[in-house]
Amino acid sequence: MEFLLEIGVEEMPASHVRTAVEDLKDRFEKDLAAAKIPARELRIFSTCRRLIIVADVPDAQDARAEIITGPPKAVAFTADGTPTPAALGFAKSRGVDVTNLEVIKTEKGEYVGLRTTKRGRSAAEILAEMVPRVVGSLSFPKMMRWGEGQFRFSRPVRHIMSLAGGAPLSVEVDGLRSDDMTKGHMIRAPQPFRVSSFKEYKEKLREHLVVIDADERKTMILGQIAARLEPLQAQLYPDPALLDKLVNDVEWPFVILGSFPEAYLRLPLEVLSTAMREGQKLFSVVRGKTQLPYFLAVADVPADARGLIQKGQERVLKARLEDARFFWEQDIKVDLKKRVPALKHILFQEKLGTYDDKAQRLKKIVTYLCGKVGDGVNVQDVVQAAELCKTDLVTDMVREFPALQGRMGGLYARAQGRPAAVAQAIYDHYQPVGLEDDPPASAAGAILSIADKLDSIVGVVGVGIQTTGSSDPFGLRRNAQGVCKVILDRAWSLSLVRLVEKILSVYGDKLKRPKADVVDYCRDFFQSRLKYLFDRQGYRYDLVHAALGAGTDNIYHAFLRVKALDALKASPQFEPFILMAKRVNNILGGHPAAALNADLFVDKEERELFSTFSIVRENVLPMIGRGDFAQAQKMVFRLQPALNSFFDHVLVMANETKLRRNRLALLQAIAKILAQMADYSQVVAD
Amino acid sequence: MSLQNLILNLQTFWAGQGCYLAPSYDVEVGAGTMTPDTFFRVLDKRGWNVAYVQPSRRPTDGRFGENPNRVQKHHQFQVIMKPSPADIQERYIRSLSALGIKLEEHDLRFDEDDWESPTIGAWGVGWQVMLDGLEITQFTYFQQAGGLEVFPIPVEITYGLERLEMFLEEKDDIYDLQWSDDVRYRDLRFEEERQFSEYNFHQATVKSLRESFALAEKEAQHLIGKNLLLPAYDMCLKCSHCFNLLDSRGAISVTERVKLIAQIRALVNQIALKYTGAERTS
Repeated sequence: MEFLLEIGVEEMPASHVRTAVEDLKDRFEKDLAAAKIPARELRIFSTCRRLIIVADVPDAQDARAEIITGPPKAVAFTADGTPTPAALGFAKSRGVDVTNLEVIKTEKGEYVGLRTTKRGRSAAEILAEMVPRVVGSLSFPKMMRWGEGQFRFSRPVRHIMSLAGGAPLSVEVDGLRSDDMTKGHMIRAPQPFRVSSFKEYKEKLREHLVVIDADERKTMILGQIAARLEPLQAQLYPDPALLDKLVNDVEWPFVILGSFPEAYLRLPLEVLSTAMREGQKLFSVVRGKTQLPYFLAVADVPADARGLIQKGQERVLKARLEDARFFWEQDIKVDLKKRVPALKHILFQEKLGTYDDKAQRLKKIVTYLCGKVGDGVNVQDVVQAAELCKTDLVTDMVREFPALQGRMGGLYARAQGRPAAVAQAIYDHYQPVGLEDDPPASAAGAILSIADKLDSIVGVVGVGIQTTGSSDPFGLRRNAQGVCKVILDRAWSLSLVRLVEKILSVYGDKLKRPKADVVDYCRDFFQSRLKYLFDRQGYRYDLVHAALGAGTDNIYHAFLRVKALDALKASPQFEPFILMAKRVNNILGGHPAAALNADLFVDKEERELFSTFSIVRENVLPMIGRGDFAQAQKMVFRLQPALNSFFDHVLVMANETKLRRNRLALLQAIAKILAQMADYSQVVAD
Repeated sequence: MSLQNLILNLQTFWAGQGCYLAPSYDVEVGAGTMTPDTFFRVLDKRGWNVAYVQPSRRPTDGRFGENPNRVQKHHQFQVIMKPSPADIQERYIRSLSALGIKLEEHDLRFDEDDWESPTIGAWGVGWQVMLDGLEITQFTYFQQAGGLEVFPIPVEITYGLERLEMFLEEKDDIYDLQWSDDVRYRDLRFEEERQFSEYNFHQATVKSLRESFALAEKEAQHLIGKNLLLPAYDMCLKCSHCFNLLDSRGAISVTERVKLIAQIRALVNQIALKYTGAERTS
């Protein structure tokens, strides 16, 4: 039987629709299965104005056998098997002849009873109860009420259409009774019409200018964009987030190509695309890397026959670009250096002071970092970039378009003739914002980016602001992931703890939390972010845990450890070695550290193990030092035969204390080397 | 259609929906939401339907009459309907048709935009309504005001009159609009924009503004004590306007900004609490 439900809403945000689609699928699948009418097929469609569920479900639950227990056998029948009034009464109450009764054995003894088959409940009946419950259980990042109802949802629910097996299925959600009617496009086809199947629903809606399938709308948009751009030999400036929003926001997409006066092309590409994206939600058009004086708008209409929409969009955009041009020309007149004092009036965080304080700290932190990474950067350039990087916060352009922070500073620095390295470092220092963003293009930018992000993390942690599952007001997770990404991109070997300690010393007595606490917190925090990053990159979780178990202070080395384990996981030596390493750890568990004395070896096998180990250690330490964990890993595999013989022939837990301690000491020395490679106990081996 | 006719049309339309046509309020406000006809009436449990034009002052938006889009005083057409009717979106769309806009030739969109006003402790959920990419209306279901949950839920529809009129007249410069058939926006407003921009940005005396703020705050506190909530609220509006002027004079640091807004909000919250509490006991 086909079940079809349409929840008609006022325009829902794209992010809310996304969660609703997932939750509806999940909830209906689970609840239908639990109600014993599991969906054979269940699909969800959506626009910003409707959520649609269509499912193929059984007409009813399967019939099931049931036993109705009556009086005890002893009461129901006399000794010779004649039914007593008790049996007759029971049979009568169930509407059957007494001969239909059977004897049922139960834990409490023998009873008379009746076997029947109970018909399953109909799907329609079950769905009528299920729909209000499921709809009412949806939750959104921000919920609202409307009118006089107590119901909470993303946006007001205005209509419910519900069909079961082609017939209207009456359900009630928050006092709203369903029917078998729907409406088309809000402006072009607002007259309600009746439907009796999903096929008819989908087709008729299409006639009424609604495409319910988001993938289809996306294809329409991309197809029309390609058609508009083809004659211009131009390309869309990609903006996947905007595309997803627009796919949600229109029921019938129509792409419009518009233009703006070429004079505005003097504005930087970043300014143009931001001015287009924000507010009007327009795409920029480029040819290669060159901005063209065109834009693309996605309208919710079948056509723009008189070109009024295009004209309207052009007029609004021109006004915005005129503003942007004004800001650009005004801002550029004031040298960034002259804006530095204004940072004293902009608060970074109440307890951490102003952006001027932050810039002062950044100057010290980047100086430290330059000393650590080398990489041919000019310290003066990075320090200058640190001093100026926040000054664009007081420009008119960034006040108007906050998303351009950093970018504008870099563009103004370049336009005002500062060294290219300074401008580039400022331009990139917020990067990467998201996981998909590129890291800074230059080493100077990378240093400033790391410094800025870690300064925020250490400061916010240091004043005791907690980052929890749902609450991360300062974006610390994003910042920490950014730091990791930049370090990995640059392949820099840095001690995170020493960097944190340096930043703590720069903060001085501003942070209330004990320094050791902050260091511990940061170490754990970065470890969890690295786990997240490596998991996302598709590394086996146990290998990630093992690699990070050997330490995360050097983030780049932690990555190299993951890579080494990943590269060798398929080699035939890997699993036996893991088991051996676990065996070493198990034997050592709890024993105090002992001193190794080569003169105390008695057996051949322990001497051989010691000599192999000595060679391996000599070779492996420099490999570990330079982060060549793949080679180091292969090198420690060589311990395997000697360790095997050792365990086969030598009794570690010898009675004689001296011998025992010495053998434990040898294994401890081996374990110490292994621990620098990975925490092998975390690796899952069969 | 002139701006004057736009107003007349909207008034006729919303009066037809059962709205009482209120006169504009006579204390400076930044938005129609802040006047007592909205603020107090959304707090209580009674139904309330009102529509009015409200001149709205935002001193920092002044551009000395030189910018074709920005002015330090613009006009809003404010509609409140409580409880929000089930067909309010259709009614709103009909109001646009009543202005002669042929919607089937345009792209009308409800674009996610939740609204909040920290000063009066209010927030709501809704959209900016975009017509061919131009924001013409803010459409909001109030959830809180004065720091308190509101119920029943009012809907607020705020038309930006100048924006809408620029669309209707297809003009690129606000000063070219016709207020009436023979009076232009420039005749009425250009000199005012020029003079007030000078005042807002250069001449307003910071010291007097701070004193005015402090006096109004003190008076509000006094009046709250006497249970005179309507005049107390007027004092809060005066604080808010002083704050906006201080802001346009560049006299407010970030920390101070947070502090001053919190001071006003605390007063407004006391008023809201008393107002709803008094209603419960009566």
